[in-house]
Amino acid sequence: MRVYSKYRKRWSIALAVFAVSAGLAGLMPTKSAAEPITDESLKSIVGPAAADIAAKGDPGAEMTGTVSDIIVADPKVGLTLSDLVNQVGQNRIAVNFVWTLVCGFLVMFMQAGFAAVETGLCRAKNANHTMMMNFMVYGLGLFAYWVFGFALQMGGVAPVSNLGGLYPLNSEFTVNLFGKPWGLFGTKGFFLTGVTYDVGVLVMFLFQMVFMDTTTTIVTGSCAERWKFSAFCISTLLLGAFTYPLFGNWAWGCGWLSALGANFGLGHGYVDFAGSGVVHAVGGITALAVAMQLGPRIGKFNRDGTPNPIPGHDLTFVLLGCFVLAFGWFGFNPGSTLGASGNGALRIGSIAVNTMLAGCTGSFAALFYMWMRYGKPDSSMAGNGLLAGLVAITAPSGFVNPMAAAIIGFIAGVFVCLSVEFFDRVARVDDPVGAISVHGVNGLWGVLSVGLFADGRSNYGGSWNGVPGSVTGLFYGDGGQLVAQLIGVATLVGVVFAMSFVWNWLVGVFVGHRVSARVELAGLDIPEVGALAYPDFQLKSGGEFVGATSATSSPSLAK
Amino acid sequence: MRLLGAGLALGGWALAVAGLFITSSTLGRGIFAVMGIAVSLGGIFGVLNAYYLERAIWKRS
Repeated sequence: MRVYSKYRKRWSIALAVFAVSAGLAGLMPTKSAAEPITDESLKSIVGPAAADIAAKGDPGAEMTGTVSDIIVADPKVGLTLSDLVNQVGQNRIAVNFVWTLVCGFLVMFMQAGFAAVETGLCRAKNANHTMMMNFMVYGLGLFAYWVFGFALQMGGVAPVSNLGGLYPLNSEFTVNLFGKPWGLFGTKGFFLTGVTYDVGVLVMFLFQMVFMDTTTTIVTGSCAERWKFSAFCISTLLLGAFTYPLFGNWAWGCGWLSALGANFGLGHGYVDFAGSGVVHAVGGITALAVAMQLGPRIGKFNRDGTPNPIPGHDLTFVLLGCFVLAFGWFGFNPGSTLGASGNGALRIGSIAVNTMLAGCTGSFAALFYMWMRYGKPDSSMAGNGLLAGLVAITAPSGFVNPMAAAIIGFIAGVFVCLSVEFFDRVARVDDPVGAISVHGVNGLWGVLSVGLFADGRSNYGGSWNGVPGSVTGLFYGDGGQLVAQLIGVATLVGVVFAMSFVWNWLVGVFVGHRVSARVELAGLDIPEVGALAYPDFQLKSGGEFVGATSATSSPSLAK
Repeated sequence: MRLLGAGLALGGWALAVAGLFITSSTLGRGIFAVMGIAVSLGGIFGVLNAYYLERAIWKRS
C-alpha cells in the first residue's frame, strides 16, 4: 500500500507537468472540466520524506527528482501552479544552456586538433613556432572578440528564444538602401558590460567565441614556416575583432545577408547553419589573402615554377589531430541549434549523423582520388578529405537528409584534392597544410550546397531568418535560396577577401610579414619564439626514403 | 596593381548586390551574382596573384 501511494504521487507529479506543458503549447484546453489543476490540487502532492531518504538512501532513484525538488517562490504558501510553470520554463532553458555550453567546450577542444594537424604538417625546425601560433590564437582571438568582436557580431541578434531571449542584445546599426533596411553591425556587448552581463548572453558569447577562434587558427596553417610572430599577433587581433564579426553579423546577427529572404524574396535569405561560410570560408579566404602576400617558403617552387614537396615531420600527429577535430565537430554542428529543447532542436541527432557521414565520404573520396591518380593512398590527404567533408556539411547540416550529406562530403573530398593541385601548380600559393583548400574552397562549397540540397523538412520554430517555412534548395524547388547563397559567396570572395587583404597589407607595411631568409632556413623556433620544440632531437634530412613521405604538399603532386 | 586587384574583388561583390536592385527575377539575380563572383576571382587570381607571382622569391634566386 505504501509503495502504491509512493508511485501514485510520482504519477500525479508527472501528469501535472505534462498537463501544464500541453496546456501551454495549446494542445489541450488550459481548463479541464474533469479535473482542473489548481494551487490547491498541487498541495495534495507530497514528496518523499527527508527522513526516509536519510535512512535508506535512494539507490533506485525513486525518491530523487520529485515534487520536493521543485523550487517554490514562497515556502509558506507551498507549491503553486506558477512555481510549476516557471520550473518547466527553466528546465527548457537549462537543457539548452547545458547543451550549448558543452558543445562550445567541444569546439574549444578543436584548437588542440588544429594545433596537431598544422604542427605535424610542418617541419620539425618550425614545430614550436607553429604550435605557439595555434596556442596563442585562443587568447588573442578571445581578447579581440571580448573587446569588439562579439558586440559587432551579435549586438543586435535578439530575440533568440532557445537561450531565453538574449534581450539585452537588441541594437543593430542599420542603414536604409533603396527602401530596404540593411543591418551592418551590432552595437551592444562591448566588454560584456552593462545589461549584457546576462546569463544567456554569456552562454552565447562562449559559444560564438570558440567559433571565431576556429577561424583565426585556419590562417596560421597556411602561413606557417615563414610568418613573423609579431605580424601573426596583430593579424589575428584584426581578424577576431573586425573581419570575422562583420561577416558573422551579416549572416547570423540579423545583418543584411540574413535578410535577403525578407527583403528580396530570396528563399530564407543567406543560410549558414553552423558556419561553412562564416567560420571556414572566412578563415580560408583570409588565409589566401595573407599567404599570397607572404609568398611561398624557400624551396617550395623551382625557378620554372614547378612545386617541390616539403613533407611534414609527424603524420601520426596529423591524423590524431584530424580525429580530435572530427570529435569537436559534434559540438560545432549539433551545437548550432543553440539548444536541445524546443524550436525543432530535437533535430540534433540528424545533424550529428549528417556530420559523421560527410566526414566519412570526404575522407573516402580524397583517399580514392589520390590512390587512383598517384598509385598510393595518401594519408595526409585522407585526413584533409575528412576535414573537407566536415567543413562542407557545416552549413547544410541542419537542413539536409543523410543521403545529401554523404554526397556533399564526397564532392568535398574530391574538391580538396583538385584545389590543392590548383594552388600548388597553377596559382602557386604555398599553403603548407592545405587550409585554403580545406576551409576556403570547401567552405564555399558548403554554402552553395545549402542552396542545392536543403530538403524543406526541417522546422526550427516555423521560420528561419524571419521567413516562414523551411529552408528549401534548388533540387527541392526553391531556386531563390541558391541565389541567396551565391550572394553570400560573392560577399566572401569580394568583401571578406578585400578586407583581409587590406588589413594584412597594412600589417605588412608597418610590421612586415615575413621572416628573413636566414631565419627561415635555420627554422623559426629559436629566432621567433626562443626555444626548439625538440631540443634533444638531431634535425637532419637525407636517406633513401626521407622526402618521399606524403604531406599536403605531396610528392605525388609535384610530379 | 594591388589596389586594382582588391578593388576588383570588392567590385565583384558590388555587382552581385546591384543585381538585387536591377532585376526582380530570380534567374537574373543569380546571373548577376555569378558574374560578381567571377569578377572577384579575376581580381584575386588574375591581378593580385599575378602581381605577387611576378615578384616571387623563387624567381629571384
